Amino acid sequence: MAEERYREYLADRVLAEGQPITYRLLSRALKVHVNIAKQMLYEFHVEQTTKQPKSVHATYLLTGRERSSEHSNDDNAHNGDDTAMRSSPFMSSLPEPENTPESPVPTTSIVLVREEELEKTKSEFEDITSIHVYSLEPGPIENMNLLAVCNQEIASNYASGDPLERWRVYGSIQNPYIKRRTTKYAPVVAKPATKATVKSTAAVSAAKEGTKQAPAVAAHKESTPEESKSGRSTPQPGPAASLKRLDSKTKAKKDTSVGNLFKSFAKAKPKAKEAEKPKDEDEAMQGMSEDEGDADDEPAVKFDEQKAAAARKAREEREQKLQEMMEADVDMPDAPTGEKTSQDAPIDKETPSQPVETEETVTVQGGRRRGRRRVMKKKKVQDEDGYLVTKEEAVWESFSEDEPEPKKAKPTPKSTAAKGKKTGGKGQGSIASFFKKA
Amino acid sequence: MASKDGILLRGAPFEDPAAVSSRDASAYRPLHTFELPKGSEKHYAHQFADMYFVRLAQLKEAVKQKAHEAWDAFELAGDKAKYVERVLDVRQGELCWVIGTVYMEMAMKPNVLDDISKEHWIAAPPLRETYVSSSGTDDMMLEDESGRLRVAGNSLNSHYVTGCILAALGTEQADGSFQVIATQYADLPRQPQRWEAEDASLTVAKQSAPKREKAGKLALVSGLDMTGKEEDDVTLDLLVEYLTGEAGGADQSSASSIARLVIAGNSLSNASPILSRDDFDVRKGAKRNYGYDSSSYNATPAEKFDAFLAEILPALPVSVLPGETDPANVALPQQPLHPALFPLSRAYAEPLAISNESLEGLDLVTNPWEADVEGWRILGTAGQTLDDLLKYVNGVRPLDAMEMMLRWRCIAPTAPDTLWCYPFQDDDPLILNECPHIYFAGNREKFQAKSVKGPAGQQVLIVGVPKFSKTGQVVLVDMETLEVETVKLGYVKPGL
Repeated sequence: MAEERYREYLADRVLAEGQPITYRLLSRALKVHVNIAKQMLYEFHVEQTTKQPKSVHATYLLTGRERSSEHSNDDNAHNGDDTAMRSSPFMSSLPEPENTPESPVPTTSIVLVREEELEKTKSEFEDITSIHVYSLEPGPIENMNLLAVCNQEIASNYASGDPLERWRVYGSIQNPYIKRRTTKYAPVVAKPATKATVKSTAAVSAAKEGTKQAPAVAAHKESTPEESKSGRSTPQPGPAASLKRLDSKTKAKKDTSVGNLFKSFAKAKPKAKEAEKPKDEDEAMQGMSEDEGDADDEPAVKFDEQKAAAARKAREEREQKLQEMMEADVDMPDAPTGEKTSQDAPIDKETPSQPVETEETVTVQGGRRRGRRRVMKKKKVQDEDGYLVTKEEAVWESFSEDEPEPKKAKPTPKSTAAKGKKTGGKGQGSIASFFKKA
Repeated sequence: MASKDGILLRGAPFEDPAAVSSRDASAYRPLHTFELPKGSEKHYAHQFADMYFVRLAQLKEAVKQKAHEAWDAFELAGDKAKYVERVLDVRQGELCWVIGTVYMEMAMKPNVLDDISKEHWIAAPPLRETYVSSSGTDDMMLEDESGRLRVAGNSLNSHYVTGCILAALGTEQADGSFQVIATQYADLPRQPQRWEAEDASLTVAKQSAPKREKAGKLALVSGLDMTGKEEDDVTLDLLVEYLTGEAGGADQSSASSIARLVIAGNSLSNASPILSRDDFDVRKGAKRNYGYDSSSYNATPAEKFDAFLAEILPALPVSVLPGETDPANVALPQQPLHPALFPLSRAYAEPLAISNESLEGLDLVTNPWEADVEGWRILGTAGQTLDDLLKYVNGVRPLDAMEMMLRWRCIAPTAPDTLWCYPFQDDDPLILNECPHIYFAGNREKFQAKSVKGPAGQQVLIVGVPKFSKTGQVVLVDMETLEVETVKLGYVKPGL
């Protein structure tokens, strides 16, 4: 089944969305052996370039021996000015070890190269033991490190399942001796959520073969961390903290990387938003989050204005599309359209970019609440290309308040945050002045 | 030009890939030589002078023996060289030899007292590339329990560093300095046989030695320098894909012969949450912050390293040495990185409460590190000892310096003088008692390897492991033949 799906998947991922894809990510996405994934990439590349040259760009991975002109072992290359320790007259009693020129150490080179430089690089190799397509992307890439996004995606989206069983599917080397403890506090990011989406997208795409929309869903997994975050409300007591930290972490990372990509392939953007939608739905169907009712528990996800606007537009589109979809396939049992929109609403409403409180540790003492909480703050940074990149960062800040008003604090995060800061400053200021006097 | 099955440039129909190769077993016996006592057993109040006494006491016999062999028959102008017990007993004009610890008095060498006076300085002195002063005014001394003797001789300074134990043959001059004719050092200690410890324990258990399979390879890498930025990500990805056998074609199976990966320090480029003096002043001047300051510690590099390990570990056991820039204690011997840093990958390690050794999986070890791998004795450091030693000398190749450390039988001669070190009292594990078969130092500028021989037939492979972040190189040591090869990972810069 993977054999049929790979074409659509690649077309959506590379041509429609303009995202790079590595053989590794493809093998994870379709659950095939890495070597088959490499061949799929090749097949797809050949197909597309015969149809339309330059429509898809490839990078290759070359393995082999480079010509020996610059062997890394230039150990004896500059003996001239070096005084070897042992040549000192004081060690004359030692058998002087002969200064044998050492045979060059065999070096295997594994080189990632764009198709433009492939032939030239090939000619620099003495012997090539293997070559395969490493990744496909919509156009020539200037920075190879962009490809690292794919592996980050693997880490965040395909981390589920027993890592010790991975070799069966993907064909990595198996170590039969390694054991893995299953920890109580496994800090794996949002496992069930990702799994669910993967599964459901598979199902969806199977159901609506040909409609082109479905694999886009599969492709667009970036949004899953956000999704799973908003989906999973916070009631777990212990490990929640670490979970959340990881979450926001990966998200922040993702934001920048994805942002980069979006910049270079700007037209992919509205589509991304679009693709996000059906997935929301899947989650709702799966019943991932039973207690979505109390919205104040939910760590709010913020988008910047642009995104929000795009989302709003996309929502309308999506509603339309949903309508069509509902009419089209009747066997999708429970797609709760109406409810969905209402759920989306609070997220969109909270878009203004004030710090949003995510978590706090509070001690109540003498009528004052003190503690520290994590606050999402926006930070604008200019990256090396001169673009302004907005990052969300989780920042701990301490606060102290006059009244324990647990109910009131939540629904108006903005005001509490501001107030917390101010009063915190005042309260501690008094301590400082106390010390100053002393 | 290339074999057919290596070229994966073919499309449908997709052939079923060859059977997955499984990893060679890794025979591993950690030695815990450099583990410090836990908790309150650790005492930092001791005097460092004891280390020198212990070192001299332990190595004196070996050096004396070597010197006797060399100089008992030595005659100069009818004078027979005789051994003088204490350096202060040397008589002027008498041909004799003494044994003592070298102390280098160098103008450029950092001084403890400087650290104190630094508080009053406007600017602290910059870190030195070398301690050798250009004016050539550096002095060399030989000291033992009784006192010190100023040593003079041709270019002695460029060959010895503070802390090595030496026998020196010569005469005292009119100005009181000791003119050296020749020197002797302890040379390589006894080298255990391969599988010696394993066989011994089997004999005790009254079992016959098992038939051992052909050993695989040991992969050495150092200086991953994870920054948390997205600069070297692709090279690191390639490393993961190479080690798990996913990258490449026909050569995938060759990666399965790697039985263990050793990461020799500096996995994180800057993990220290402790600010440098300058940064601290800047921060102090700025807004006052009470409590934990989240901006002072960035967890991204550590998380990335954790994810990196978690990707490799299902396929390969990994030993991690801490290095200079890793979040471990700075004083040698550095203790293993704490498993709390590795929320994902620590699932592959034995919990600390049960055992401090993980034979398979994630193995967090000390720096320096000593262990038996495939029966061979392996000694490795993350490179600080070598870096510091090289500051004492001019124009000495790192590999030769490593060889001399072995021959002096001292892994960190310059500790505690210029290298931070735990104040050992009764026993100094940094003294070499048994000669390793493989000795490596991490974080070199480039890859180097050589094989040296000792007087009693010892043979040591010395490897300088290059910084991965600079060179993209992984060193593979064949554990059957002790041959070295390297694998270079990288990418062709676009537009070149």
